[in-house]
Amino acid sequence: MVPVSFQMSETPTDGELVLRAREGEELAFGLLVQRYQRPAYAVAYSVTGRHEDAEDAAQESFLVALTRLDECRNPEKFGGWLMTIVRNRSKNLIRRESLRETDQVPPGAQSKVPTPDKLAEAAELRALLQSALEELPEIQRQIVLLHDWEGWKHREIADSLDLPSGTVRSHLHFARKTLRQTLQNAPGVPEIIRKAQ
Amino acid sequence: MKNWLRDNAAESDGLGRDMELAEAFGALDPAMYDPNYWLRFRGWVMSNAATELGRRRLMTRLTVGDVMSSWARALVPTAVLAAAIAGVLTTRPPAAIQAQPIGLEEQLIVEIPGDPAPVLMTPDIGEVFIVFASESF
Repeated sequence: MVPVSFQMSETPTDGELVLRAREGEELAFGLLVQRYQRPAYAVAYSVTGRHEDAEDAAQESFLVALTRLDECRNPEKFGGWLMTIVRNRSKNLIRRESLRETDQVPPGAQSKVPTPDKLAEAAELRALLQSALEELPEIQRQIVLLHDWEGWKHREIADSLDLPSGTVRSHLHFARKTLRQTLQNAPGVPEIIRKAQ
Repeated sequence: MKNWLRDNAAESDGLGRDMELAEAFGALDPAMYDPNYWLRFRGWVMSNAATELGRRRLMTRLTVGDVMSSWARALVPTAVLAAAIAGVLTTRPPAAIQAQPIGLEEQLIVEIPGDPAPVLMTPDIGEVFIVFASESF
């Protein structure tokens, strides 16, 4: 899904929303959350690899961003700034989790929401994707999720990760190649996708 | 079994969005399991952000109006008091503020500790001394 800001030019820019949110305007901050909740979740997921951790890290990152909104030097690049917070927050979460040494719940069985029967196989695909993503370096996970899941452009990802655009393209290429190799060897994937839709 | 991904898709797409992968990543979307997931996500963030947003609104209002008036509330009474004191001082009669003249002797003994007059020069001591001398010689 393409972020709202890139779909509709008549909507306020990130810079305008940030300036209004700095003054406590609820609507402006709500639009920023709506605009970046999915990319924030994707980045958090790419770091944590767990739905619940990704959810916690993404949600808390918005609150941290709000309290530090005055430190956002370039409000037009709010997205990249927020993703930095999300990455750091996610890494801190993993560090805390590893210190606690909690037992890992098997992937796909962690959602608080009961999975309907007709989506059980989608959960299986989710687990498969998760294990395939784990094969990738973290930077490649972030890039492929932001690009192919969230629809971000190379340049936007490059700005967000502070990388040259060519490096982003290179990472994307290798990430896709690895993912395809992993997924092509997985039997029954087409049926899973059809039934999940 | 047929693979669900085209073999050459990654190489031929020119690094545009890979719609097959995008479709597969849909399984990672929590909204697939809970259609209201993103609404609830945003609701959680907004309810927890309410305090900070309120503080920011208050700070904005304070910056424009309240800070100025509170500043004025502190400054104006101080200025009025200072002006009143200055007015009193400047309108006071000159005689009232004349310093008391100090005599020459007083100026000489100012800040000298103890009895400023020499012991032998005091009348009483002198008489005693004279009496003592007459008896001795």
